[in-house]
Amino acid sequence: MRDVAIVGVGCTPFRPLTPEVNWKELTFQAAVRAYEDAGIDPRRDVDSFITCAEDFWEGFSIFDEFTPDQLGAVLRPMHTVTGDGLLGLANAVMQIKTGLCDVVVVEAHSKISELLTFEHVVELAFDSVYEAPLSRERDVHPYYVAGLEMQLYLHETGTTEEQCAAVVVQDKQNALLNPLAPYGTRMSVDDVLGSPPLSDPLKRLEVAPRADGCVVLVLAAGEIAERLCEVPIYIEGIGWCSESPWIAARGAEALYAKRAAQMAYEQAGITNPLQQIDFAEVDDRFAFKLLQHVEALGLAHPGQAGKLLLDGMFSRDGELPVNPSGGCLGAGDLIEAGGLARALEVVLQLRGEAGARQLPDVETGVALSWRGVPHGTGAVAVFRRRS
Amino acid sequence: MAFFEPMQKATEPRHWLGDMEADHYFYGAGVMGQRFFEALRDEGKLLGSRCERCDWTYVPPRLYCERCFAELKELRDVGLRGRVKAFTVVYVNKQGEPLDPPEVFALIEFGPNITPFLHKLGDAPPERVHVGMVVEAVLKPPAEREGKITDIRYFRPI
Repeated sequence: MRDVAIVGVGCTPFRPLTPEVNWKELTFQAAVRAYEDAGIDPRRDVDSFITCAEDFWEGFSIFDEFTPDQLGAVLRPMHTVTGDGLLGLANAVMQIKTGLCDVVVVEAHSKISELLTFEHVVELAFDSVYEAPLSRERDVHPYYVAGLEMQLYLHETGTTEEQCAAVVVQDKQNALLNPLAPYGTRMSVDDVLGSPPLSDPLKRLEVAPRADGCVVLVLAAGEIAERLCEVPIYIEGIGWCSESPWIAARGAEALYAKRAAQMAYEQAGITNPLQQIDFAEVDDRFAFKLLQHVEALGLAHPGQAGKLLLDGMFSRDGELPVNPSGGCLGAGDLIEAGGLARALEVVLQLRGEAGARQLPDVETGVALSWRGVPHGTGAVAVFRRRS
Repeated sequence: MAFFEPMQKATEPRHWLGDMEADHYFYGAGVMGQRFFEALRDEGKLLGSRCERCDWTYVPPRLYCERCFAELKELRDVGLRGRVKAFTVVYVNKQGEPLDPPEVFALIEFGPNITPFLHKLGDAPPERVHVGMVVEAVLKPPAEREGKITDIRYFRPI
């Protein structure tokens, strides 16, 4: 089957608030940059467009009807994936691999600052009969589910609260070198451990602050990609998986991510992730999720990621850097754009365009996304710069 | 980009407020939910549905097995006692304000090969809660039960 590569990337900076533009203009800005980067005209050169969005985040019903104009996609094939951006990327890969399309655009955005009742919308994602009434009674913050899952993960793997806190420290430090990331800072493990508990053992500083932003990627079939750009970044494998939606049915392991990785690795010919992968960008909307996701990727044995992180293995100059971008904790929780933000960093690193945070000698990187509380859907993509 | 004259003052951007009309929606209990909530309300029992092939029981009961996709027909009373598999102490409400007293949520296991059950703990100082703690359901008095998940007030340590 045909190869698929990323030939253009565009984004807005990720920011807590973006009052000067509306959500369509935010997307337009990122799209213009992506098309400029790819050297294409969307009205002429793109065969299909994909947006990743969900009605309640956007404040529209049937949001998928509102997507074409800001991408240059009016009167063109266009559809919306109700999920994270990497799921849209998977759709784009399939459209190109099957030969249906040659050039496909994928977009995901967050204008989450305009949702004034974020916590209520999260609760609305809980089972309305069995789960939501439990937190609704006393208006409990729905992120208690993250606290519950963190407690289970710590208890069953022996991972410590200090190790989780160290994730925040590392991410926020990495973010200092990422001009796109709004939440970079220097802090200590004690700062994190001393921050007020949200839902014990989860501390407030272990929750990624939300951000607005948009990421647009342009994909092309291999032969076209080689013509369009100097350094096409190939998508060697992509996988996705959904666990049981019942909060109580899931275990300590991020099984959705493990299965998604298996699917992507099989396509990419990765049998020994530690040897074959140079760095990773993973969802870490809650600090412990970075550790859980690193283990799901096979980059650490179950329960070992926390210890290895403290040993420096996942730092920027470590053996296997994780989240050089700053991750969600440093760059912001971009809701459905989270997966594309992770993919964007992988592409920039593989192109050698990551500026002050550039990792040396990287050839293969992996991106992992998660849909967030209270759900268990994830996706994994493997990217490679071919020499 | 066409921002030749960008806005320069924070007070300039206009906005409108709106609502997503989701306040009134009808959520049906379903075949298994009907049985579960009637047994809870009328008999003070917790029912699960068992998959014979997988030897696995779902609480609350489901009409199908998520492992093998069989249709489930066997309902069983799983009792009111279980053990805490995981727990969390929640200190904030949706506005980020303190919850006083904090709320304790837990996954409760009624036995081997039974899906854990999500609910709250009560009569339990948070510092005394631990994994493996034996708890039992505290139900509302029969006259106050409405056939809702909140007919179970909470689980308390024995």
